[in-house]
Amino acid sequence: MVNCIDNSGAAIVECVKVLRMKRHAKVGDRIIVVVQKQRSFGPESGPGGSVSISAANNVRRGDIRHAVVVRTAKKTQRPDGSVVKFDDNACVLINKGGEPIGSRLNGIVGSELRDKQWSKILSLAPMHL
Amino acid sequence: MERKALQRLHLTSLPGITFVRNDARVFKFCRSKCHKNFKMKRNPRKLAWTKSFRKAHGKEMTVDSTLSFAARRNVPVRYNRELVATTLKAMKRVSEIRARRERVFYKNRMQGNRQKQCEADRKLVEENQHLLPPAEREVAKELLEKEKEDMEVEGEEERMEEEEKVEKKVKGAKVKRRQRLLVGQGPEDMDVDD
Repeated sequence: MVNCIDNSGAAIVECVKVLRMKRHAKVGDRIIVVVQKQRSFGPESGPGGSVSISAANNVRRGDIRHAVVVRTAKKTQRPDGSVVKFDDNACVLINKGGEPIGSRLNGIVGSELRDKQWSKILSLAPMHL
Repeated sequence: MERKALQRLHLTSLPGITFVRNDARVFKFCRSKCHKNFKMKRNPRKLAWTKSFRKAHGKEMTVDSTLSFAARRNVPVRYNRELVATTLKAMKRVSEIRARRERVFYKNRMQGNRQKQCEADRKLVEENQHLLPPAEREVAKELLEKEKEDMEVEGEEERMEEEEKVEKKVKGAKVKRRQRLLVGQGPEDMDVDD
């Protein structure tokens, strides 16, 4: 169960498959996820009904999407030998082409994204380390 | 052995674990001791072995111009061999100076120790008169009283000297004499077949 940190509508997703490798997914790896919990929009919902982020982007419970891992609680090693670990596991939903579904990211992401060519996500991120 | 929240020099990759919290606060731990204490949510300011404790309690130099040299500068500098050479030289010199200043700081901190120790010793002798053998007791008493008189007149060295003499006497007199306390007359030597 991974936190989803973009504004695509999912709050918690469950990883069901790690693509293209026979090991655990690390930062920058692509995974297939199933949406478990939807994110309720606070400031964005109108006074009456709930205004979703945008009809195309909204992700519902049970949707199967691709995602990219951006934070792992497991220690990862950097090429300079330092070891980094984050507080939780987090991912960003993407479409089949590799473009993030949401338009904004919330929270810090790992710098390994740069090496794996997820520069779009990296540029959306408020902070990276 | 430090545990600090650092966002420090990129060039040196310290051993240890970097923990990034979700609010983007970075914590570097030099070894698992620091890491485990952090996970226990202990406040480093209260743990006597941490750097932050020592700085907060004035055990280590906090304000000094030498400390401000190692700061992160966010402007990249074009490589220049002379610049590198002078920087290395400067780093060495700065650390020399800082070491010297830290030694002075330590010395200042430890300065009152000798005096404190003497005070403690004197107090000990005063309080434990009953432990001294009777002959020495008079001598010790005399000396202590003399000291009290001379305190305003003479300097510290004299006092310390006398204190040491008393201590020597106390230590020297190890001969136990068998004694018996007589009512109204104090201790009286007994006849012992040695």
